[in-house]
This record gives sequence, C-alpha cells and structure tokens, in this order.
Amino acid sequence: MSTKATQWRFEREDEFLEKLRELRRQGVPARRLDVLMPIPVAGVEEVLELRPSPLRFFTLAGAVMGAVAGLAFILYTVHDWPLVTGGKPLVSIPPFVVVVFACTILLGGLASLLGFLHLSRMPAIPTIVAPLEHENYYVIRVQEEA
Amino acid sequence: MSLRACAEKLEADVLAAMRKPSAAWWIALFIAAGCFALGMGLWLYMMLTGMGVAGIRHPVGWGVFITDFVFWVGIAHSGTLISAVLFLFRAQFRSSFNRFAEAMTVFAVMTAGLFPLIHLGRGWLAYWLFPYPNDRLLWVNFRSPLLWDVFAVSTYFTISAIFFYVGLIPDLALVRRRTTGLRNWLYRLLAIGWTGTAPQWNHYNQLYLFLAALATPLVISVHSVVSWDFAMSIVPGWHTTIFAPYFVAGAIFSGTAMVITLAVPMRRILRLEPYITVDHIEKLSKLLLFTSLIVTYAYVVEIALAWYSGHAFETQHFSYRFFGDYAPLYAVMVFCNCILPLAIFWRRARRSLTFLFVMSIAVNIGMWLERFVIIVTALAKEYDPYSWGTYKPTYVEVGITLGSFGMFFMFFLLFTKLLPVVSITEIKERQRHEHESDAVAVRA
Repeated sequence: MSTKATQWRFEREDEFLEKLRELRRQGVPARRLDVLMPIPVAGVEEVLELRPSPLRFFTLAGAVMGAVAGLAFILYTVHDWPLVTGGKPLVSIPPFVVVVFACTILLGGLASLLGFLHLSRMPAIPTIVAPLEHENYYVIRVQEEA
Repeated sequence: MSLRACAEKLEADVLAAMRKPSAAWWIALFIAAGCFALGMGLWLYMMLTGMGVAGIRHPVGWGVFITDFVFWVGIAHSGTLISAVLFLFRAQFRSSFNRFAEAMTVFAVMTAGLFPLIHLGRGWLAYWLFPYPNDRLLWVNFRSPLLWDVFAVSTYFTISAIFFYVGLIPDLALVRRRTTGLRNWLYRLLAIGWTGTAPQWNHYNQLYLFLAALATPLVISVHSVVSWDFAMSIVPGWHTTIFAPYFVAGAIFSGTAMVITLAVPMRRILRLEPYITVDHIEKLSKLLLFTSLIVTYAYVVEIALAWYSGHAFETQHFSYRFFGDYAPLYAVMVFCNCILPLAIFWRRARRSLTFLFVMSIAVNIGMWLERFVIIVTALAKEYDPYSWGTYKPTYVEVGITLGSFGMFFMFFLLFTKLLPVVSITEIKERQRHEHESDAVAVRA
C-alpha cells in the first residue's frame, strides 16, 4: 500500500521522458510511477508498459450491438403488422440499411464514451473534490511502498 | 519563449475571452434572444391559429420551414468535417477552428431539429415520429426517407454532442484551475476529475480517434439522407441520383462559409489573432473554393441529366427554374455559390479577411436560396398544369426563420463566455509540433 510519493516536475518534455526512462532503468516498477501531462507525450506508454487501450472492444461491441438490434427491431416491426407499402417486399434491405447504419454509429459512439469513462475511472469523485493541478508541467510521481 | 511559457500565455489569452462580458456582447445577446423570442411567439401563434397563417398550401406544401431545416443541417456539417475528417487527415490548421465549429454543429442541429416540428403544425404530436406502434398496433414505415431522417438527425446530434464534450474535457480541467467560487465548481463537475495521467491520455486518444472514425461516414450519410427526402420522390427536379453527393458538398460549402463568418469577427473581438491566423483562414477558404467547384459541377450535371433524360417534365422544370417566377433567386444563387467564390483563386482575395467575411455571408445567402429554389420550383410546377401554383412566404415564416438565426447566435454567444472558444490542448500540441519543426530547421 502506498503512503507517500516523491515528485519531479519538468518544463521540457524531453527531460521528463529522460527522467522517466532513468527511473525505469533504476528498477522502479511501472506500477509505482504516476505521470501527469498537459498534452500527450509519445513514448510514455512504452516506458510505463501501458498496453494499447482496450477501448476498441467497447466501440466494436457497441457498433455490432447497434447493427444487430437495429435490424432485429425493424424485422420484428415489419412482421408484427405485415403491411405492404409501395409494392415493396416486407423485408426491403436497401432502405433498412440506412436505419441500421444510424443505429450502428449511435451505439458505437455511446459505447465508446461509456467505455472511456469506465476505463479512465471517471467521473472520479476524489479529483473532482480535490483536483490534481500540474500547471503545464510534466510531473512524475513515484509512490513509495510502505 | 519556452513551450511552457507559450502554453501559459495561450491559456491566459483564450480564457481572457471568457471574462466579464462587454456591453456589446450584452446588446448582441439581447438582439439574438429577442429574435428567438419573436420566432417562438410566431410558432405559438401558428399553433393556436392554424397552418393557414403560413404560406405553404397546395401545390407547394414544403416551403421556408423545410428550406430552413436543410439549411441548418447543412451548416452543422462543416463542424464535423473540421473536427473529424481533418483530424483523420492530420490537418494541423483544424485546431484553430475545431472547437467553435463543433459548438456550431451542435447548435445548428438543435436549430434544424425544430423545423420538422414547426412544419408538422401540431408540434405536440411530434412523438408520432418515433418508432412505436399506434392505436391499431401499426408500426412506422421504415421504407420512408422521413423516418430515416429521424434516425439520422438524432444520431448526428448525439454523436456531435459527444464529440464536442469529449474534446472539451482536458480544456475544462484547465478552466477549472483558473476559476474560483461557483464557476470553479461548475468546471470541476464538467471536467469529471480529469488529471492528464498516462492511462487517461491513452484511452482519450483512442476515444477521439474512434469518434472521428464514426463521425466521418455519419457526416456523409446525414446529408445524403436529407437529400433522399427529395430524391426518393418522383417529383421532376428532385428525382435524381446526384442529390446525395450534391447535398453533402453543398452542406460542407455552407458550413465552411459559416465558420468563416464566425471566425473573422470572433478572432478580432476576442483577441485571438495569434491563434486563428490569416494563414489558417486562407486554408479554410481553399476548402470553400473546393466545395464551391463541386457544387457548381453538380448544378451543371443536374441540368445535363435533365436534358439527356429527354423527359418532358424534367426539361420543363429546369426551364422554369431558369426563366420562371423564381429566376431572380436562381441567378443570385449562381452568383453567390459559383461565381463569387472563384475570386479565392486570387491570393489577395483569399488573404483579405474583409472580402472573405462578405463572401461567406453571400455564400450563406446563396446556399439558403439553393434549398429554397430546389424545393419550391419543383413543387410549384409539378406534372399537371391544372395544379400549378406559386408560393410566397408569409411574415410568420420569415419571423420564424429570423427566430432560428436568433436561437443559433444566442447559443453561440453564450458559448463564447462559458467555454474556451478554441481548443487550448490541441493548440499546445500544434505549438509543440511547430517548436520541433523550428528546432529541426535550426539544426539543419
């Protein structure tokens, strides 16, 4: 369990990245390193051994669910009350594609947002109540283990 | 100046725009809110009195309300184009415009969404549009383009609003740091605890990329669906396959013009000249020229298709468009959309902000007229000469249209005082990129 932290802050991105690499070389495990960045820095993921975000699975699941649910709903409605309009077959795929497409994008987008909030642990009450500000510095914090 | 100093200055400059509003801002807000109230009042009057107070009647059943709907959906499009499509193309200049273009998208879709309800007459029955079975358990018709519109526009609004909010999160955390009291708490809540840790940025970048990837086909589909409201019918002048790409290009054209209309005065009033430069606006004007050329091409192809079809009603329709009752409007439309933007080929014109501002307003007028001409001329003289007629909007339709502009500008003015009007985080990234390029140049 971590009790206190040692902190460095940098104005320059390259110095920040170099310090981060140095800490890793010194054997500080990635799980004890926290960084705060005003803008994303390329290379940090590698140093901290972060895997690519699994957000894509949320997007994919949402989009597939949107497509399947949209199509299933339309097919249900046209069979529930089979009314022929304009001499078209009950299952008229081309016009249905438009609605299915909209449902795919809608649920894909919503699932992506929810996935992001879940993976980033947001909304985060502790940092809403007491925000961690870094004032355009790149910050490294090493959590000391008790 | 160090990058950090640049970032601090950028934050101070952008957040200065959010300070106490000036008297001019209050006057502008009062005028916009007044127009909005007038529009809402006239809508109420129309609901209480009946649709007869509007000019739409047989044979022209679609008039200014549908023109306004298509116009505002079109305005929305360039916001998504600038945020999503230019993001995927890694166009650096987008960061000067994307925030307020995204805000513009959200407000324009909200405005557009009102018009089908206004046009319905009995607005309180708008929920009939949604897919649920009626009293006789009959479902909505999924083969109808009007229902596609319900899905397309509501999806577009949702995704645009998500995109707008997600882009704001890191900036809301910056505003949080520089505000106090009740405002500070508001931004704390809106920033939902963002701190900029590595995992947060990791997920955030993925989210932004996926939203851009989802919004890009959406932007194309939404205006295609709007165009199919017309093209799926067998009305001469509407029933053509070119409508979808033609409408999408027109939407981006008018939306880009609106971005220029807003950017030129805004950069000056809010003192954002260092971040929205003439170079950036010049790049945007090239996009305007490109889409103007596509629109011009569509106008020509539309005529060629009518001629080549040998269809008497199609050719009659186009001759009516050129020489009939609405010919002056058609001429103004061609001048504003096809001829005037050609001046952008001339470097001095595209670097003159005064010219671009005036031209962007002309393009917006031209694009509104384009929708009016397409809708009204096709319905005024359809097939049977016995049922030909003309249409003239009444003061109710003009007032409600004015109200829609009031609504849009009212929301936009409130946005300028409540949220950062340019994306601070993205401009910081752009500044880093420029610093790196400078460093490489110095070493070389």
